[in-house]
Amino acid sequence: MSESSLRKATPGRLVAITVTLLILLSPFLWLLQMSFKTNDEILQFPPPLIFTPTLQNYISLWHSAFSASFVNSLLSASLSTTLALLFGVPAAYALSRWAGRGKHALSFAILVTRMAPPIAFTIPFFLFYRWIGLLDTITGLVLVYTSFNLPLVIWMMQPFFDTIPVSLEEAALVDGARTRTVFTKIVLPMVTPGIAATAILCFLYAWNDFFFALILTRTNARTAPVAVVNFMNYEGWEWGKIAAGGSLVMAPVLIFSLAVRRYLVSGLTAGAVKG
Amino acid sequence: MTNASRASSITRRKLLKASAAGAALAVFPAPLIAQTKPFAGVTLHGASFQHRFFTLLAKYIPEFEDKTGMKVDLQLSALPVYNQQANLELSSGGSAYDFVNVTFTLATRWIAAGLLANLDEFTGDANLTPAEWNPKDFVDGAQVPYRDAKGATYGYSWEGGAMLMGLSRMDLMEKKGLKIPKTFAELQQVCAEINGTDGVSGLVSWFLHNWNLPPYIQGFGGNIFKNPPGDVMPALNTPEAIQGVEFYAKLLKSAPTGVLTYTEDQARQAMLTGRANIFIHSSAWVTPILLSDESKVKETSRVVRSPAGPVHDYPASNSQGLGIPKNAKNQKAAWEFIKWALSPEISMKLVREHGHSSICRRSIITSDDYRKLNTVNGQDLGALYLEVLEQPGKGENYMAYRTSKEFPIVGDVLNKAFEQVATGQLPAKDAMNAAQDQAIAALRRAGTKL
Repeated sequence: MSESSLRKATPGRLVAITVTLLILLSPFLWLLQMSFKTNDEILQFPPPLIFTPTLQNYISLWHSAFSASFVNSLLSASLSTTLALLFGVPAAYALSRWAGRGKHALSFAILVTRMAPPIAFTIPFFLFYRWIGLLDTITGLVLVYTSFNLPLVIWMMQPFFDTIPVSLEEAALVDGARTRTVFTKIVLPMVTPGIAATAILCFLYAWNDFFFALILTRTNARTAPVAVVNFMNYEGWEWGKIAAGGSLVMAPVLIFSLAVRRYLVSGLTAGAVKG
Repeated sequence: MTNASRASSITRRKLLKASAAGAALAVFPAPLIAQTKPFAGVTLHGASFQHRFFTLLAKYIPEFEDKTGMKVDLQLSALPVYNQQANLELSSGGSAYDFVNVTFTLATRWIAAGLLANLDEFTGDANLTPAEWNPKDFVDGAQVPYRDAKGATYGYSWEGGAMLMGLSRMDLMEKKGLKIPKTFAELQQVCAEINGTDGVSGLVSWFLHNWNLPPYIQGFGGNIFKNPPGDVMPALNTPEAIQGVEFYAKLLKSAPTGVLTYTEDQARQAMLTGRANIFIHSSAWVTPILLSDESKVKETSRVVRSPAGPVHDYPASNSQGLGIPKNAKNQKAAWEFIKWALSPEISMKLVREHGHSSICRRSIITSDDYRKLNTVNGQDLGALYLEVLEQPGKGENYMAYRTSKEFPIVGDVLNKAFEQVATGQLPAKDAMNAAQDQAIAALRRAGTKL
């Protein structure tokens, strides 16, 4: 297929793209419009499409415990992402450059921790955390998310390091550079798209987690997804706040993804057409 | 005032204070003074799901803290979040909580597993519980879920839910010459005749069929289990159960489109706006048609007893209790809190100052103040509430199915089966026969011996 045929915007393609976009975006748009309605308007049937938007749901959220939960989510997701990258990227590099026996077995062993469902770890984590006093702490959440993200970082980053010719590093070493300099000044800049893509996936995992946060937190370290559920009260669901909370929970991920979309696309597709 | 005179006045004040303290020490020995706040330094950790009761109670907690010297740390979460966390904490032998909400659906499980402290040990000790606290003042029907087989008490109820029938458009009914339905047959007739009149649906309900449906099954003489809690063999395919399912599915034909997925507040909203005529549910969901400012049908509404079945008149009811975990570190302090929170004084305050009606103390529900506050349009809502709440405590505890630990599994099966019937996918007999097999298999997989 030629490049020009790929770019040609026929009416059929435009309709297909519009319909696809509508299908993909409709849940988000529906949630967003709900967040600007009163509870009464939300519960009306048929739902009113024309209404006077209100910011009351967002204002109520701001003044509720949700804001603290939002900060908890930001902290736990960003700290765990940073830690996972800090340890995972050098580990992936070491694994990539290591030619010894057992490399594949080790790589597989690292991935195994990601294969098991989180429920398998939750109860042991709960009991252990209670024993050492990490229940309902940001530190506890960060450690859990880091331990789950670390294998992902190693597995995502190793192929990126594999694609960098060792001869480049050898040339730098011949020129007098030290190993650390080679890693930080030559290798790392070349895998930036990979790091960005991996960071997003790590952040997303930690940000979207509900299960660990539900079991391992109470009130002090409660994260945003659990806080949204807290609007489902025994005496009725606060739909407006649920919608506003849901919209806010989506916002950082969207902003983060848009900010690094250039790296995200190149990072996730790197190597796709090689070989 | 000069510096010299100020200094002299301060000295005099200090001297007076010191003399008073000395005199107090001479009359009351030091330990006795300390005892005036017996729980000084204790931080009491408690948890429950969010409910108006606790929001109101929180206003008075500083008074309690001041009186006892303890600090109360009350964690409130959404119902599913609370149930999950409390279940895990208690079943793993944790001691993070000193008092907990005993969700009535979990009560039997927690009591049978020995996760809660026997509160008779507290009420039986005159030093811990004064006679005027009177445990017997709690409505018996509301206390049933918090007793073990031997009758020991593991929780005291703070909230009651009594199934009532709300009618929002009595004007339409009167125009058609229809009376308030008192039997299942009359209910069916009223729903069918009102449905579609003036754009009003005959009835509205909500998606948790395992809450709405059992009173109909029981009304025809059936039950969810053979003889709960002793015999928990599912009884979903008995002729009575099938009849109940058929009846309820037929009833929902006069409900708005999409009712099978309605939440409670969607259903309430349909009533408040007069879009549906009948809603049969707990009093807290039904009475807003008379009491809420949002109600557009205040003048044409009535709240009455739900209709009786041909065999039984078993309106559903429930209650939520406060209990003390077996491993709680501060059990006496926790009991002090429960005693205070459920005392006649606080209960009366909640009724008088906040109009909070779903309490479970008989002396309060039958008081003049309560009756005055809860009589609307000549209807004594308190009397209705009490009558229904009492019912499972009289004779057969027909709500025992709901607190059996096997119910969540069987309830899920029942929900799916009913949806098949209501949507016309399967006849009731086939759906319930299949549900019976599925329920037995699911219970066996979960380790229940049948």
